[in-house]
Amino acid sequence: MATKQITKLFAAMVLAGVASHSFAADTIKIGIAGPKTGPVTQYGDMQFTGAKQAIADINAKGGVDVDGKKLLLEAKEYDDACDPKQAVAVANKIVNDGVKFVVGHLCSSSTQPPSDIYEDEGIIMITPAATAPEITARGYKNIFRTIGLDSAQGPAAGNYIADHVKPKVVAVLHDKQQYGEGIATAVKQTLENKGVKVAVFEGVNAGDKDFAAVIAKLKQANVDFVYYGGYHPELGLILRQAKEKGLNAKFMGPEGVGNDSISQIAQGASEGLLVTLPQAFDQQPENKALVAKFVADKKDPTGPFVFPAYTAVEVIAQGIEQAKSEDTAKVAKAIHDGTFKTPMGDLSFDDKGDLKNFKFVVYEWHFGKPKTEVSPQ
Amino acid sequence: MPDIYHFFQMLVNGLNVGSTYALIAIGYTMVYGIIGMINFAHGEVYMIGSYIAFIAIAGLTMMGLDSVPLLLTGAFIASIVVTSAYGYSIERVAYRPLRGSNRLIPLISAIGMSIFLQNMVLLSQDSKDKSIPNLIPGGFTFGPGGASEVVVSYMQIVVFVVTLLAMLGLTLFISRSRLGRACRACAEDMKMANLLGINTNNVIALTFVIGAALAAVAAVLISVQYGVINPGSGFLVGLKAFTAAVLGGIGSIPGAMLGGLVLGVAEAFGADIFGDQYKDVVAFGLLVLVLLFRPTGILGRPEIEKV
Amino acid sequence: MTRNLKSAFFSALLVWAVAYPVLGLKLTIVGINIEVHNTSTFTLSVIAICSLLMFVRVLFNQQLSAAWKASPNMPKVPSKATDFLTLPSTQRWIILGLVIVALIWPFYGSRGAVDIATLILIYVMLGLGLNIVVGLAGLLDLGYVGFYAVGAYTYALLAHYFGLSFWICLPLAGLMAATFGFLLGFPVLRLRGDYLAIVTLGFGEIIRLFLRNLTDITGGPNGISNIPKPTLFGLSFDRTAAEGMQTFHEYFGIAYNSINKVIFLYLIALVLVLIVLFVINRLLRMPIGRAWEALREDEIACRALGLNPTIIKLSAFTLGATFAGFAGSFFAARQGLVTPESFTFLESAIILAIVVLGGMGSQLGVILAAVVMILLPEMMRDFSEYRMLLFGALMVLMMIWRPQGLLPMQRPHLELRK
Repeated sequence: MATKQITKLFAAMVLAGVASHSFAADTIKIGIAGPKTGPVTQYGDMQFTGAKQAIADINAKGGVDVDGKKLLLEAKEYDDACDPKQAVAVANKIVNDGVKFVVGHLCSSSTQPPSDIYEDEGIIMITPAATAPEITARGYKNIFRTIGLDSAQGPAAGNYIADHVKPKVVAVLHDKQQYGEGIATAVKQTLENKGVKVAVFEGVNAGDKDFAAVIAKLKQANVDFVYYGGYHPELGLILRQAKEKGLNAKFMGPEGVGNDSISQIAQGASEGLLVTLPQAFDQQPENKALVAKFVADKKDPTGPFVFPAYTAVEVIAQGIEQAKSEDTAKVAKAIHDGTFKTPMGDLSFDDKGDLKNFKFVVYEWHFGKPKTEVSPQ
Repeated sequence: MPDIYHFFQMLVNGLNVGSTYALIAIGYTMVYGIIGMINFAHGEVYMIGSYIAFIAIAGLTMMGLDSVPLLLTGAFIASIVVTSAYGYSIERVAYRPLRGSNRLIPLISAIGMSIFLQNMVLLSQDSKDKSIPNLIPGGFTFGPGGASEVVVSYMQIVVFVVTLLAMLGLTLFISRSRLGRACRACAEDMKMANLLGINTNNVIALTFVIGAALAAVAAVLISVQYGVINPGSGFLVGLKAFTAAVLGGIGSIPGAMLGGLVLGVAEAFGADIFGDQYKDVVAFGLLVLVLLFRPTGILGRPEIEKV
Repeated sequence: MTRNLKSAFFSALLVWAVAYPVLGLKLTIVGINIEVHNTSTFTLSVIAICSLLMFVRVLFNQQLSAAWKASPNMPKVPSKATDFLTLPSTQRWIILGLVIVALIWPFYGSRGAVDIATLILIYVMLGLGLNIVVGLAGLLDLGYVGFYAVGAYTYALLAHYFGLSFWICLPLAGLMAATFGFLLGFPVLRLRGDYLAIVTLGFGEIIRLFLRNLTDITGGPNGISNIPKPTLFGLSFDRTAAEGMQTFHEYFGIAYNSINKVIFLYLIALVLVLIVLFVINRLLRMPIGRAWEALREDEIACRALGLNPTIIKLSAFTLGATFAGFAGSFFAARQGLVTPESFTFLESAIILAIVVLGGMGSQLGVILAAVVMILLPEMMRDFSEYRMLLFGALMVLMMIWRPQGLLPMQRPHLELRK
């Protein structure tokens, strides 16, 4: 144990040494890395929107206070197309560019390889979107995230289904993506631990439009409750087609589906959908001004990653202020130790770099009306 | 007997998807039949068609129109006109300068074109999914109810009818009209057709236009039925339609129609038996199997080896 | 003139039909409804100018092309220079020169540059492998990425379940990919031309889908992470060594520098590429290499000469797959993570584009094309979201500019004087 401490200390010292001589600039560069091209661009756009807005807001207030000196933030955007191969190239470019703080990446698969490089190079990375538990499970000091884990959200949903909904026949679907399958598996396990049998457990193809086959199967199995792990485009279509085909089941999904787009896609079929959400940041009264700012800039504040990305920048800025230094080792320590006032509430991080006390609440969706909270957990 | 109902439900769903595959597959097959190239940008033409359909529907709705037949007609006309323009321009820009070179060259050019078009729409229309409400809700229900029923939505019927009409129109055009005869002549022997006074450049352009127009028909049908589009949606549909074209025997128009339907039905049943995540495996597996026993597809003509 | 005017008018209209609906109008979501709006007057004026230019261009087509032809000193590469560049003997010297440069520069290059170079080398390896199948044997393979995936997953799975090291897995990955190539190639190689293309495409997708769906073995969409990096005779390049291991910098008593790891990976990739180059060059001089090219030129003549096309095709297919397997296992080592999404059809398309752009069959061409195809999107990073748009457009332009490839293959030959 002691040796580990010493190695850590040594690592921190080396990092400090490496880091200290590259800080002469007048701005603090914040790298934002995520997909700007490729199939998942729409999620990347949410991240860029949130992070850029935060940087603009902080700069409007005069910048970040580093031990009495006000420094402005500078956004540097990097496109990784959610491709792990390109993500490594991006990470190396970030190292080359002397960027010390990164908000990103988006997909779990393109977050993991770069995180090795960032940790190695003493760069602080906060991902607002990658939910795979493995990312923070490797004892890294510089890797954080401002979003809940698959392994936390799944049980919350599973417990709610077993304790409150008590359905007769349950189906669990997912989109065969890291995020969706991770949550769906966690839900299934929780349900089975509680003695609820899962009749259908199946993956669908993300990006597909026709879900008639899977709906026919659900109907044949007389399913009355469906949990879907994934994002809103597919669930929206499933809801729509389920209604058309006369499948009478209640649906539930994770925060990836919990945004206004689901009402837009599923229309009336979104009525009664259950969603586990951290909290609807964009609908909280204290965030009204911020939401108005997004809307004024013709940006969409509703996506699941907008606020986590905004918050990630806030955490970096406040971490720098609390550490009274731009030194990443000190900032990383400050982020681990401190508490941060952000649009997502007062946040603090645990040893792994995940959010402490990140709770999920179950909401019921209403078409054309605001959602309502159904269970305080 | 819930299983019979289930069987028919799968069949209806499969034919529904299959008929749209067939419409797009014709574009691949006609281009291949005439100039022997795989037009990988065809899926993107379909995607652009679906955006035009949405733009037309949204525009007409904003003008205060709310009659569904009129909206659909507007979408069809706008989409067909614009995608035809795309079909023509793509041929002109990316393929015509390459005619006569090694057949892999236009293939790469087509892949480049496909990347270009997809990103163009991504940039101009942004990345978010766009959706419209269900224009033709409701449907017929057969059977006692619960698990034992077959639901055929009105929209599915519209898809069948429109597809049938489009196929019929195309078949008549190809077999009866002067231009259709010119098309067939070019597919048979381009040089000879040229010598006989057919403007082969125009015929090739026409092939691209017809293919694009049929893709537009499919685009309107699919995007109205499912109600959601995004810039990435062309690729997968294009790949499936291409598979359908090869399955039926590439170069043969009836083959593309049959291939589309077979592929759609096989996917529906495959998804039912092996699970939805194996749908694409079933589609490609079927293709491999068919080609093993019939190396030129279901209706393809056996190639004559020339020395 | 009226005919010209008519077609000019048509072309101008075409510009509007193509550009206005997609670029000039934009769908926006308002609440739960969708609306369509004009984008900006700027876009409209750009479209208008383009259509006007098109009008003028088509109207004065003959005059313009005459002027174009008349314009002196066109920036054209003299044909002698390209001839010289594509001669096999020159190519050998160029390759030798390149190798020397490639060995030395990373020690002076930046971390990002060396890493990109490593990526390029992976694609050189893939391009050379596919070059055997497409360029030399003339078999259109659109599912090459499947074998790449097999190689990557072979190393990832063996390292994950049995803790085998990179150096043991590298040949195993090649062997595994070769087996796949052999088994898949056997039934399908009797298909002709484009039917072969779609079947290989299907196989590539099937392999990817199975990797994605067999979650219990392959980790499904999560893939396999924490794949160890290669070691130098047991010396790792990490900051701190794992139990019972020693690190490179400790052993040699130098300060830890993370760039060493990157350079080491680069050098491994370089060595692998050199081995592949050497093997292919040897094979090309052997009967089998000659048979590949003969088969590409004329299958019937080959058969008449008593060559067995199936065996020749299969050998090309298997060998190509083997090199993809090597490249795959190295890719897994570089990434530290493999997921099915790294092996999509687009990847096959890029590799094929490298082979075609290089000039089918030409090895120097493949190297050059790999550099162009990988470096281009990286250099265009500053264009941000316009990156892929430009990339697609450049792919089309390069094909039109040089349909024969950058450096097409040339056989030693004599030209008869007329």
